[in-house]
Amino acid sequence: MTNTLPLKGIRVINFGWVWAGPVVGQTLGFLGAEVLKIESRARIDMTRNLPPFAEGIPGPDRSLSNHACWAGNGSVTLDLKHAEGLELALRLIAESDVVIENFGPGVMERLGIGYESLRAVKPDIILFSMPAAGLYGPLEHVRTYGLSLTSLTGLDSLVGYKGETPIPVENAYSDPFAGIFGSFAILTALTHRRNSGEGQHIDFSQQEAVMQMVGPAYMDYALNGRSGKPKGNQHPTAAAAPHGVFPCSGDDRWIAIAIGSDAEWAALVAEMGAPAWATEPALATLAGRVQAIDQLHAEIAKWTRSHHDRALTDRLQAVGIAATPVLKVADLLDDPHYRARDTFIEVRHPLGFDETIYGGYVKMSRTPAVVKPGPVMGQDNDHAFLNILGLGEEEYQRLKESRVIY
Amino acid sequence: MTSGTDSRSPGALAGLRVIDFGQGVSAPHCARLFADYGADVIKVEPRTGDAARHSGPYPGDLPDQERSGLFFFHNTNKRGVTCQVEHPEGRRLFLDLVSKADVLIENNLPAQMRAWKLDYATLAAHNPRLVMISITPFGQTGPYSEWNGSDLNAYHLSGASARYCGRPHEMPLEHGTFSADYFGSVTGAAWGLGAVFGRDLVGGGQHVDVSSAEAIAAAFVGGQNIGGLAQDGRSDSRTGVGMPLGAPATILPCKDGHVWMLALEPGQWKGLRKVMGDPEWANLEMFNDMYTRAQNADLIYELMADWLMAHGKMELMEMCQAAGCPVTAVFTIEEAARHPHLQARDYFVDIEHPALGRVHSLGAPFKLPASPGGPHSPAPLLGQHNQEVYGGLLGLSAAEIERLQALGAL
Repeated sequence: MTNTLPLKGIRVINFGWVWAGPVVGQTLGFLGAEVLKIESRARIDMTRNLPPFAEGIPGPDRSLSNHACWAGNGSVTLDLKHAEGLELALRLIAESDVVIENFGPGVMERLGIGYESLRAVKPDIILFSMPAAGLYGPLEHVRTYGLSLTSLTGLDSLVGYKGETPIPVENAYSDPFAGIFGSFAILTALTHRRNSGEGQHIDFSQQEAVMQMVGPAYMDYALNGRSGKPKGNQHPTAAAAPHGVFPCSGDDRWIAIAIGSDAEWAALVAEMGAPAWATEPALATLAGRVQAIDQLHAEIAKWTRSHHDRALTDRLQAVGIAATPVLKVADLLDDPHYRARDTFIEVRHPLGFDETIYGGYVKMSRTPAVVKPGPVMGQDNDHAFLNILGLGEEEYQRLKESRVIY
Repeated sequence: MTSGTDSRSPGALAGLRVIDFGQGVSAPHCARLFADYGADVIKVEPRTGDAARHSGPYPGDLPDQERSGLFFFHNTNKRGVTCQVEHPEGRRLFLDLVSKADVLIENNLPAQMRAWKLDYATLAAHNPRLVMISITPFGQTGPYSEWNGSDLNAYHLSGASARYCGRPHEMPLEHGTFSADYFGSVTGAAWGLGAVFGRDLVGGGQHVDVSSAEAIAAAFVGGQNIGGLAQDGRSDSRTGVGMPLGAPATILPCKDGHVWMLALEPGQWKGLRKVMGDPEWANLEMFNDMYTRAQNADLIYELMADWLMAHGKMELMEMCQAAGCPVTAVFTIEEAARHPHLQARDYFVDIEHPALGRVHSLGAPFKLPASPGGPHSPAPLLGQHNQEVYGGLLGLSAAEIERLQALGAL
C-alpha cells in the first residue's frame, strides 16, 4: 500500500547536531518530509561515535543510540569550510522549505548561512534556530549541556526527594522534548507561509520552551510568591493523595499509585483489607489525606513491599485504581503493551546489520509513520547532487575527490 | 476569534478551529499551544468544570474554581462553554461543535469516550476532515489502554525514572511537575498539526493516538538505550549522580543554593581550574581526563566544596561561563521568574482576569517574528461563552439556549 504522508513534498535541510536538532528533523521525517541532514567527515558528530555499536564493531555508521535518535533524517556530506561546499549547501537550501540548526547564536552567520544569506537564495525560507537561551538577550551565549539546560528554567530545583536538595536527572529530557516541540514550531511557520507566502526565522529558545513544564510551580510563585521544592513523587499541585512510588518484592521493583478521588481511596482501603490506620475518617477527604501524606505513604509502602509489582497492578486496576509498575530499561522490549503498539522495531540497516530502534511512537490512523534506519553518512549524496541539483557525473566525482562532498 | 478589539496580527494558525475536550494538563496544554498561535480554541467543560479548576495553586490557598492557577496557565486565549455530553441534547450540541471544527484535542480514557459514543469513528462520520488528537497515559490500543492512569503512572511506565532519576535502590523519581503530560502535549501538537497541514494531501482527517508513556519510552529512554538492550542485553540504571562517565558532572551545593557543575572537555576543565585559582590538587595526574576524574568524583567534589561554599550560584555561573566552562546556576522558580534575560526577551505577559485580577504568566514558548503568538486573553470562566458560541457559531436562539440549560444539557 502506498501511503502518502502529510508532509510529502516538504524538503528540510538539517544542520542540527547531537540530539535535539536531529529529533526536530526526525519528527518532520516521520510525518513525511524529506529531511537531509548536512554533516561532514571533516568533523564527525560525537554521537556517531557513541557505544554500543552494531555487532560490537566501532565506527561512525554503527552507533546504535545515534541511529535511533537520528532515524528519519537522511544524510548528505558536505565540508562547509570549502567555498564550494558552502555554495552547494546554499543551492540545496534554494530547493528547500525549511532549514534547522541548533548551534549557538551567530554560528550560522559565521559559516555563511545566516538567515539573510538563506533569504537571498530562497525568499520564503523558514529558518528554525534552537539555541539554549534564544537568539538574543544577556544569556544568549550561555553554554549548557542538554541535561543541565533545565537548571535555567527552575525545573531542576523541583526534582529530588522530599525535604532534600535537588538531585540531577541523568540525561537530557529537554533534548527530545525540545526536538519534538520544535517540529510543532516549524509546522506553525509552514502554515503561516501557506497562508501568507511569507517565511521567517524562528527563535526557539530551549530555555523558554522547556520552562513551559514548570507552569504549575510558576503559577504558585506568581499567585503566592512561593518557590517550589523537591517533594519526591507527590502530586505537583497536591490535588491527589496518595500519589507515590512504593516498593514491591524483588530487586529494585516499584509500583506507582495515584489516587485522584475519594472513591479510588475507598477502593484502595478495601484492597489493603481496611486496616485501622486507613479507616480514620479524616482520610476520607483529599484535604485530610494531603495533610497526612507522609504517614500514609509510609503505611502503604509496608503493605506493597510483599507484593509483586505486576500482580498488584492488575489487582488495583481491576478496581479502577491508577497503578502501574515502574519499568526499567530491561523491561521495555518485553512489555506486552509496547510490543502490542510496536513501540520498538527491528530494522535492517543499509550496511547489512539488524538493529532495534523506536518506531512511530504516535499512531496515525490514516498515515502511519514510515520509519527508516539511522542514516549512513552521505547516503543521500547521489539524490541530492544528481537529482535535486542536477550536477553532471564528472563534476560530482571531482567534488567527491576534492573532499568538498565529504 | 477572541473577544475584544486589538491590533494583534492574526497568528500563524488563524482560521483553524479547535475543540479542547480535555481536563488537567496534557490536552489543555496542547490546545493552548494552538491558541497561542492564533487558532480559535473552544474549551468544552462539564458543568462541574475541568478538574484543574479544583486544583491549586489558588491565591492564598483558598479553593475557588475561577481562581485556579493550574487552570489559568493551560487555558489562556480560549473561549469556554459547558456541555453535558452524557445528556442526549448535550451530545448533539457537542457533535455540532465538532462538525464545525478542524481539530479535537482530548485526554479522556478511551473507555469513557466510547461510553459517551464519542469515539473517533463516530466523530469522523460527522466530520471526515476532523483531526482528533487523543493524549492519554497509555494510548488507544494495547493491553494497558483500558487502565486508569495519570501523569505519574505514564512517567514511571516509560523507564525514564528507574533509568535516570533517583539514587540506586531508592525510589525512582518524577521531575516534580507533570513531565509526562507535557511530553504528551508537545507530541500531540507536533504530530497533530502535521496531520492538519497535510489533510488535503492525504485525503482527510485522522485520529492521532498519543500515549505519553510510549512517547517518552521511545524518544527519550529508547533513543539512548534500546539498541544496546536488544543487541547486547545491556540495561543501565539510575546512579543518583549526573553523569557517571565524566566528572565533575553533577549538582553541587554552594553558598546560596546549587550549581550544575560540569567540566568535561579539556578546555572546560582548564577553565574551571583557573576559576578555582589553580589549586594544587587539581594538577594531580588522576584528574587529567574526565574518565579518571569520574573514578575519583567523590574526592573531587570534596576538594571543591570549600571553594563552592565561598561563592554564590550566580557568581559561580558567571565566572565559569567566562572561562569557557558550562556551569549553570540551579535557578529556583523565583530566580527563573525574575531573571533579566527572560525579562529582556519579553518572555512574561500580564493578563487581566475577572476573578484573579492581573496575572503575571509565561508567554509564548517560541518566537515567530512574522506571526507572533503567546497568551493575551485570560482563561474563560466556566460557561463564559455559552451564548457567544451556541448562539453565534451554532446559531441557536437565546430561548433555545435557555431551554437546553434548563434541561441540564449545558
